[in-house]
Amino acid sequence: MRRLHGLRLSDLTRPRILVTTFLLLFVLLVLPQLMSLYYVDTMTQVAVYSMVALGLGVLVGRVGLVSLGQAAVLAIGAWVAARLLFATSQPYLLVLLEAGLATMAVGIIIGLPALRLRGLYLALITLMLAGGITVVLATVNFPNGGHGFLGYDGSLLHIPPIRRPSFAASDPAYFRFAVIIAIAMFGLVLAHIKTRPGRAWAAIRQSEPAALAAGINTWLYKLWAFALASFITGVAGGVLAGAIHYLYSINFPTQDSITLLAVVLMGGAYSLWGAVVAGLLYQFLPSLLNNWGVSADWLTILFGIGVLQVLTTAPAGLADQVPRDLARLGRRLRRGSNKKAATTAPAPERVP
Amino acid sequence: MPPWADFEPFIVSGLALGGVYALSGVGLVVLYRATGVLYLAFGAVGALGALTAWSLAQASAPGWLTWLACIAVAAAVTLGYGSLFGPALAKRDPLVKAVATIGLTLILYGLMDLLWTTSGGQARSLTLPTDNSGFTIGQITVTDTQVIALAAGVVLTAATAAFLRFTQLGTAMRAMANDREITATLGVPVRRVEAAAWLGCGALSGIAGLLLADLVALDATTLTFLVISSLAAVLIARLRSIWLTFAAALVVGLLHDLLTPVVSLSNYRDMTPFVIAAIGLLVLSRHRVMVQSREGA
Amino acid sequence: MKRRRARRAHGAAVLAAALTLIGAGAAAGCSSISNSSTGTGATTPAASASSSAAGAATVDTSQCGSKPGVKATGTPIALGAIATNQPGTSFTDIPNMAKAYFDCVNANGGVNGHPIKYYIETEQTNPAQVAADARQLVQSDHVLGIVGNTSIIECSVNSGYWQKMGYYVIDSGIAPECYSTSNSAAVNMGPRYSSDGAVQYALAQGVSKVVFDQSNVPGTGYIAAGPAALAKDKNVPIVQLTENVPITDANSVAIKEVNDAGSNGAVILNFTPPEALIILQAAQKLGLENRVKLWGCSTPCNTDFLATSLGPKWNGKLFVNAELTPPGTDSPKMSLYKAILAQYGKAVQGGIGSFSQMGFTEAEIAVHALQSITGAYTVQSVNAAFKAVKDFDTGMLCQAWTYGDYSLHIPNNADYTVTPKDGKMTTAQGCTPISAVDPQIAQYRAAAGTAANVQ
Repeated sequence: MRRLHGLRLSDLTRPRILVTTFLLLFVLLVLPQLMSLYYVDTMTQVAVYSMVALGLGVLVGRVGLVSLGQAAVLAIGAWVAARLLFATSQPYLLVLLEAGLATMAVGIIIGLPALRLRGLYLALITLMLAGGITVVLATVNFPNGGHGFLGYDGSLLHIPPIRRPSFAASDPAYFRFAVIIAIAMFGLVLAHIKTRPGRAWAAIRQSEPAALAAGINTWLYKLWAFALASFITGVAGGVLAGAIHYLYSINFPTQDSITLLAVVLMGGAYSLWGAVVAGLLYQFLPSLLNNWGVSADWLTILFGIGVLQVLTTAPAGLADQVPRDLARLGRRLRRGSNKKAATTAPAPERVP
Repeated sequence: MPPWADFEPFIVSGLALGGVYALSGVGLVVLYRATGVLYLAFGAVGALGALTAWSLAQASAPGWLTWLACIAVAAAVTLGYGSLFGPALAKRDPLVKAVATIGLTLILYGLMDLLWTTSGGQARSLTLPTDNSGFTIGQITVTDTQVIALAAGVVLTAATAAFLRFTQLGTAMRAMANDREITATLGVPVRRVEAAAWLGCGALSGIAGLLLADLVALDATTLTFLVISSLAAVLIARLRSIWLTFAAALVVGLLHDLLTPVVSLSNYRDMTPFVIAAIGLLVLSRHRVMVQSREGA
Repeated sequence: MKRRRARRAHGAAVLAAALTLIGAGAAAGCSSISNSSTGTGATTPAASASSSAAGAATVDTSQCGSKPGVKATGTPIALGAIATNQPGTSFTDIPNMAKAYFDCVNANGGVNGHPIKYYIETEQTNPAQVAADARQLVQSDHVLGIVGNTSIIECSVNSGYWQKMGYYVIDSGIAPECYSTSNSAAVNMGPRYSSDGAVQYALAQGVSKVVFDQSNVPGTGYIAAGPAALAKDKNVPIVQLTENVPITDANSVAIKEVNDAGSNGAVILNFTPPEALIILQAAQKLGLENRVKLWGCSTPCNTDFLATSLGPKWNGKLFVNAELTPPGTDSPKMSLYKAILAQYGKAVQGGIGSFSQMGFTEAEIAVHALQSITGAYTVQSVNAAFKAVKDFDTGMLCQAWTYGDYSLHIPNNADYTVTPKDGKMTTAQGCTPISAVDPQIAQYRAAAGTAANVQ
């Protein structure tokens, strides 16, 4: 039986749902108690960047579009959220929604012309756009409580922090808030995958001419993917703004988009768990190494090796590879048994 | 708008900057035409070579030896990468091959910061003997190094265009970049041609790295990610025409510097390569969908 | 199919292993080259380090502590620091030098018999990380005081936290909040007041226009306000510029600055050493260095390494603000500093220079404060002692250093001016107070009651 792109549609086994639910409850309720504040802050970042990786994973893994500009999209979401949080006293959830929608609008505006390009050209044009946005941000800066459209006052002696929701002011509470928002975003993507967009994306991924011939409006669904990825990343930007309280343009350099692609590939662009792995790689590992006094350069090297490894040997990334390796190990351990191991279909051929 | 006299010196510096972009841009397109790979690690490899040259210079090695070492290191790393990953990725999409070079870039970037650590008040710089000689245009001195960079761009463009079209090895390279399997069945010694292509790649990155380290900055981050700005010219030429890449690079450099005296736009001038690339690409593709197919190489 | 995949995996593994080995091997070899080059490239500091280390070897480092030769064995006093360490910007030399000082103290009696345990957290200018580092120090490492912070954004991100937790930080400031809040007092002047010093010197030379160019990192508006006030007071027009760093096109920057300044103008730079170097080198290559009356630079340019790299064309042409007493000064404290650096400061890569001087000064102040505590060492007692430091002669600054109970702190507000001369930075002007035309300086002097002491 063919497994359809990393997600069993026909039989979502009950153990999997149970494990996932248990894990989520553990993360929400128990984890903040166990961790020091240092790691609570780190895991909040993991939640934020899991969402960013989720958006990029939809593009890269589901539709086969490589975007080298997600850090810039995140910056836009954070900018909009910060501006609204300073300028208005709207509830935080509303600000998140607005940030997501604004970023989605930008994503659509960019996607409209950009989607005429394919493959390498599309990746490079997203890199160019990200580079441009980065320069603009360096000049206009992030809002810091000033007035005017840009909301930036360069001469402030005390920069006010970006506010958090009243119900999630402390670090552990904000961590839970971030995780809940992340769960909502993952749910949003899951809903897409299991319905028509998901099937259309799978078809486009497999072969765009064939999908066209089958009557699928490929351009519309690709734009939809762009819009969804931008929305999720915009919301992530809003969560980021409240998490770190202070936004600086130097925190969103163009090379971050490149590293993001690397961790998404390593974590696995197909499965949703891959996005979580990517978030952990991108934020938890550096934090751990920093605590141990190990230079972050080793991680950069690791990410480079990871990209090469993924592209040459494990196209579906760690999230797919590790369970498969474990399953293979389990099969070897049960060598004498008569039970037939679940056949796994080979990973999809067209790999970004 | 400032008076014309204010723009004059920026024409000279703009052409110099254009020379810088042309060196990287032409290098990238040349490599793409010869190997089918958009070698995004071009800057990182060059930086590695330049830093090696710097280290040797600090150890009092003669100038020519340091330059040779720079080119050798760049060539060795590129050949190593090409031998290990070239065949494995040969059948894949150009996008995959380009992303793989991103992997190499990250490895080199991390390695460079580990080996040549950033420390407090130190600043590394690489100077070439041609820095001390030059000529004056208007009130600006143009160093011989800048002339060499521009000339190198021209020579590279012309020589590679000729090489790829008229020599046997060049034709073999183009064929391999197009379709490796068919070329192999035609009896072309695929591995040897591939090795030659990668070796040439590497040497090119080394030479460019040396010049760029002198003209821009001897800094791993700057040199590694200079590639991104150079991609503008590459994209406008749609990875095909080397002459177009060269011309586009000059235009980008000129425009970037000519915006400097315009007060309202001056802070945004670093956007120039990106805006031009975006406009150029979207204008060029407005009538058809652009697909990176093998025939397009 | 499997065999090919296995081969590919093998290939990747081999590459990884090879790179690691090459890296490790080269690191052993290359870092020795780069370390010696930071020694030889910065010829004069290393030479002066070795020669004065030889001279300083006769200086007894044990005078750093109260009981020479006696190792401290009591319960440790925990202190912490946060410093930026990322490609292109590393301030770790400052806490590393502070650690060297603490090590010396620990080997010579400690603080009333207690050794100091020093935790250094590094960060990459990421606000989340900077905040997390603070919590790590306070809640996991249980530090009693914060000494040696040097970070582009730390003061902004953590000032509220330090206030809440009752920590009075002794730091080397960069962000505005390092100088404008109650819980941070710096040993240096920071970009704004250091730029003030450079601009002040230029104005005193009678320039008719000032171009102030700085790197586009957080706080540009705050920094620019100082020079703007000084220029306005003298009725000299000032052009404010910023550049995105890292700079890829230094030529256009240099041409722009020179054009805007004019022949009787001054170009004042506020950049890190590598960026300032490439701007000045570009100006020289373009033949522009004599097109303005003088060039100025804030404190980061004050390194002999820069003097050597720039060459003789800049002798008496570039005037750099120096926040700290020049290391060539002959004084017991300076000899002690060099001796401690030589003996305990192996981790300090920059050698003799303003970074290690700052680390020494901060540690010195902290130990002086700790030694005054009579009861138990707690967060309250340690930080009360820090706050109580008054008129302490550090031997590294123009003035005595005071923390005090004020709403803002700019205790180092007088500077030297140095100029390159044949590969070394030499003094061009002795201690000069920063003008109170800068409103923040005026506010501080009024709060500290020192306004009358300054002409």
